[in-house]
Amino acid sequence: MKSSYAYYPGCLASLSQKELDVSTRAVAERLGFSLVEIPGFTCCGAGDVHEARPEYSVHLNARILGQAEQLEQDTIMTICNVCTLNLRQANHKLREDADLLARVNANLAEVGAATYSGGVEVRHLLWEIAEGEGYEKLKEVAERPLTGVRIAPFYGCQILRPSKLLGFEDPDRPQSLERIITACGAEPVDYPSKIKCCGFPIVLAREEVALGELIQPLAEARAAGADAMVTPCPLCHLSLDAWQGKAAREADIDFDMPIVHLAQLIGAAAGLSYDELLFKRHLVRTDRLTDKIYAETSI
Amino acid sequence: MEVTLQIQRYQPDDDESRLDSFTVDAPETATLLDVLDQIKDEQDGSLSYRKSCRMAVCGSCGMRMDGAAVLACKTSMAPLVEEGRTPVISPMGNLPVIKDLVVDMEPFWGKFRAVQPWLEEDGDPPVKEWRVQQQELDRIFKEALCIQCGCCVSECNSMEADPDFLGPAALAKAARFVGDARDRGRMKRLQMANGAHGVWDCTRCYFCNERCPKGVDPRDAIAKIGGEIYAEGMLSDKGARHAQVFDFSSHATGYLLETALVPYTDPMKALDVKFALKMVRAGKAPNPVKPHRAKKLGEVRALSKLVKEQEKQDLADKRKGVTTDRENES
Repeated sequence: MKSSYAYYPGCLASLSQKELDVSTRAVAERLGFSLVEIPGFTCCGAGDVHEARPEYSVHLNARILGQAEQLEQDTIMTICNVCTLNLRQANHKLREDADLLARVNANLAEVGAATYSGGVEVRHLLWEIAEGEGYEKLKEVAERPLTGVRIAPFYGCQILRPSKLLGFEDPDRPQSLERIITACGAEPVDYPSKIKCCGFPIVLAREEVALGELIQPLAEARAAGADAMVTPCPLCHLSLDAWQGKAAREADIDFDMPIVHLAQLIGAAAGLSYDELLFKRHLVRTDRLTDKIYAETSI
Repeated sequence: MEVTLQIQRYQPDDDESRLDSFTVDAPETATLLDVLDQIKDEQDGSLSYRKSCRMAVCGSCGMRMDGAAVLACKTSMAPLVEEGRTPVISPMGNLPVIKDLVVDMEPFWGKFRAVQPWLEEDGDPPVKEWRVQQQELDRIFKEALCIQCGCCVSECNSMEADPDFLGPAALAKAARFVGDARDRGRMKRLQMANGAHGVWDCTRCYFCNERCPKGVDPRDAIAKIGGEIYAEGMLSDKGARHAQVFDFSSHATGYLLETALVPYTDPMKALDVKFALKMVRAGKAPNPVKPHRAKKLGEVRALSKLVKEQEKQDLADKRKGVTTDRENES
């Protein structure tokens, strides 16, 4: 863990998933690292711009990496799987290909944007607190253990795969979320679909296909007796939370499954309140979980 | 070393599959395929699986080990024995099981044929031969490595939900021909890949890249086709329009225009008032009148415009196809 990071919340946490941004800032304070704002950052383009305009996608992400470098930060902290993959993907290409880096920098300079020398690492919050100093600190700040709470980890795709660009842990047998759940005093629930896709990237273009993918983890987590699911990705969150009603109708199962962001889970264990973590901003009510967490304290 | 496997067994007449456990004394260098051969030779001759070249070239021995598709001949058993694992060996996913570890590859080949995996030419054939430049070959080098083993298809999350999805293997093969400088069927291929079960079905789970034993990276191949469809302005599919909103947003406001995403991708969905109201009540609906705007927007607008010019040149090259008939070379 570092003492400071260039903070890249991305679009969703800045917009509809604001509770993730608010919780992350609150948790950072407890864990003792500072988040340095990147003025003028934009969307990473997600998998969409990466697919539609690959060359522009590299430029868009190089500009963000260059902005972090300008702030004299050597690490960007991300809180979204898709942002993590996009930034790391571009970073990898730029570091591997000197001609590409030169071409991109020439274009960045022409439009008056910060250029990039290749010296920035991109790390997700999950990775920073799942091991080493961050993990020790997490155990220290988890002053309100979530005893008796059963949490199903949902990793999402783009924090595990492709592992040659992400590579934090075994993509088929990840354990980082389980370690964090345990450190928070809760019990991790195992189920096969925890590493599969939530369907979000195609939920608007191919809703039936996406719902087919979404039903599986929800059904398995419920069958495994989870009180809630936790995810490190705001897109997975939106899919599991906002589309849960449609998935429930499609599958004819009342999942009633609260979905929490990673930062909210840590925040709850660190003693932050229901209001501070904005649990009310979820579509599926979190009572089944938060009643257990906050039962002994007045909210 | 002592190797124990649990193998999923299935006979066509069985109602369901069962797990059989086998233990063999195998050499340290044994692959999964070696162990299966030893079991078949020494313990149960009825065990069925496909194999041929034993050197990761023929693509016959795709199967799952602990749920992950592998080539049996490329999977060394020593590390698993060291970890103390007793792996479950089962047939590949997304394909019907015929017997034990043998799957019916016909649906796989059907999709393969659908992308017309051969060179399309028009006009006279070259007098001598087409000479492909190195940089032209580089564009499709990875896609050309495919051995059609089906490991990518086995794990495709979209195909689990939509069995008609053309899938990673067929689309990687399509990309191999879309990018071939000698091919004259580019537009036809792009239209095919732009269909209902084409590239926009891909959910970007990246299981295909993770599983491919040859480094084809099928998801990247799918993205290459999607990029060409987009560059050609083929925006009939909701998937392409979805991408267009991300592209536009990134330089119009700097942030994703969430309010434009639904109506532009799928106008019918915008009529789902009940869903929209739920989002509003949870505080998740962004302000449609005054969207969030990034600072220094001028930079990114100029950047998009500048790169667009370079993209146009790239598209012109792809449309042209660049080849030389060796006979006509000076």
